[in-house]
Amino acid sequence: MILKIAWRNIGRNKRRSIIVLGSVVAGVIALIFMDTFMNGMMYQMLFNRVSTNISHIQIHKKGFHNNKVVKDFIPGYQSAESKIKTVKGINSVSKRVIAFGLISSATSSSGVYIYGVNPEEEKSVSIIDESLKDGEYLSGGSREIMLGQKLADKLNVSLGDKVVAMSNQIDGSIGSEVFRVVGIFKTSSSEFERTYIYIPAADAQRMLNVNDKIYEFAVITDNYENVDQIKERLITELPADFEVLTYKDLLPTLIIQMDYYKETVLIVIMIVGLALIFGIINTMLMSVFERINEFGVLMAIGMKNRKIFGMIVTEAFIIGIIGTIVGLVISMVIQWRLASVGLDLSMFSESLNSFGVGAVIYPRLDIENLLLSVISIPVITVIGALYPAYKAVKLEPVYAIRYV
Amino acid sequence: MEIIRTEKLEKIYQDNGVPVKALDDVDLTINTGDYVVIAGPSGSGKTTLLNLIGALDKPTSGKIFFESEDISKKTKKELSEIRLNKLGFIFQAYNLIPVLTAIENIEFSMMLLGVPEKERTERALAIMDELEIKELADKRPNEMSGGQQQRVAVARAIVNNPTIVLADEPTANLDSKTGSNLLDLMEQMNKEKNITFVFSSHDKQVIERAKRLIILKDGRIE
Repeated sequence: MILKIAWRNIGRNKRRSIIVLGSVVAGVIALIFMDTFMNGMMYQMLFNRVSTNISHIQIHKKGFHNNKVVKDFIPGYQSAESKIKTVKGINSVSKRVIAFGLISSATSSSGVYIYGVNPEEEKSVSIIDESLKDGEYLSGGSREIMLGQKLADKLNVSLGDKVVAMSNQIDGSIGSEVFRVVGIFKTSSSEFERTYIYIPAADAQRMLNVNDKIYEFAVITDNYENVDQIKERLITELPADFEVLTYKDLLPTLIIQMDYYKETVLIVIMIVGLALIFGIINTMLMSVFERINEFGVLMAIGMKNRKIFGMIVTEAFIIGIIGTIVGLVISMVIQWRLASVGLDLSMFSESLNSFGVGAVIYPRLDIENLLLSVISIPVITVIGALYPAYKAVKLEPVYAIRYV
Repeated sequence: MEIIRTEKLEKIYQDNGVPVKALDDVDLTINTGDYVVIAGPSGSGKTTLLNLIGALDKPTSGKIFFESEDISKKTKKELSEIRLNKLGFIFQAYNLIPVLTAIENIEFSMMLLGVPEKERTERALAIMDELEIKELADKRPNEMSGGQQQRVAVARAIVNNPTIVLADEPTANLDSKTGSNLLDLMEQMNKEKNITFVFSSHDKQVIERAKRLIILKDGRIE
């Protein structure tokens, strides 16, 4: 019957209950939206980096990641490739010839990372072929080059224009090749657009004078969350002078950012919760003051303080539960819509690009955080009702009965 | 048999720091089956006395014995137990719980005592039948007249078979005919079931029906 009274009391002052319910619903929506938005943004940052050039796992000769020198090619890469392809969980592998060099046009020049790739292999580990803004993807023909829009702007080149790429060779001399621009790509990272160029692997090997040597295996696994286990397997399979790095090793700052964000979810819930608590306290206090006389009667007929306390807290809990369910349903509709069309933040595209996010954010649901929000809000409403409930049980029956 | 006895009961309120003596040296005994009316002008201390013997308040000095046990020093929780188990209250403004129907209001105090649901409903319906308010069972207080509400309040007060029923100005908000009918009912309960009633009232028709009249003036029994 306590539950019945609590339930009916909610319907007593509909306007007030709707206001509290509204604040709970708004709190739930705000929490879930903020979480899915941030989660989506983080995931996009990771996805964009991983799917352009980082990939899930990179394999080099030991030391190459920190110091990209021409002499550190992968020794005996053919047998290594066969071993890599036998490891369970690996979906695709691309061999890359990587060097730091200079690219020059008729008007300008810029320092770049030169990626010599087998076009078909590279497509299986990267979305660079889907990022083309103008022109074509590498066909496999000689002396083709793809570069980013920012770099093209800097060099003042467009499709069909010639550029010269040069880099150190093993013996210290400078190798150079002339290329014709066949494609211009645009990505969510302005940094990537400015500093990476793609050429055929054979051209890169010729320029570096390294015959058929390669410098990197870029690996895509069947699940990016399993990279640590696959890394362990690769380490046991490959010779000791190889380095196996996951995207977590390669993007430590981003991973820290993502971990940090997970930690801050609790803080955000606390901030939203605090605002909600004061709203609940205010409304429940109004509700208590409106019913002082009634509490007096309940006390007079022998209702124990703990039951009166429980009744008020139950009212808030019911509001919390209903508000959470309504908020959750609305959030799911918003999420369902935004997850497919995304949230267009073109007006901030410059700054978002500098973070490697992209102008359209696709909110992403994290079940763990969702559960945290869904559990926290009813608890918060109960906390908000504690003080009003305390005030109610502290009433003197004699005073309360006479209260008008 | 003695239910309530007070000894040198005194109650002093503070009114903006000024002590006001609401009851002074009140000695009173109420026995089983009594039908007592405490009368007196406004401010004479009727309600204060009713609150003290109803375990709603504590005296400044003096003693109150309920079934020979001194309750003047009991804790709030202990007083609450006494009210739940031994007392029935009828208020001037009926004071039914607005979100409950008539039958739920009557069942409520039984629920607090832990009476099983089936028995609660049976007992509530029986008392409603007796008080001729069975047709009000599913009505909420705002759907009932004052007289009907007060009958439900009477049913709520007596359904647990209390030792004593305290009625504070029960007819004050009723017209004289309805008030008279209600008093008939309570008189009948007193006669047939030997329920002890203590009224505080300055209503003439309540005073006229008193088996025992206690007049209060300036906090003292005259």
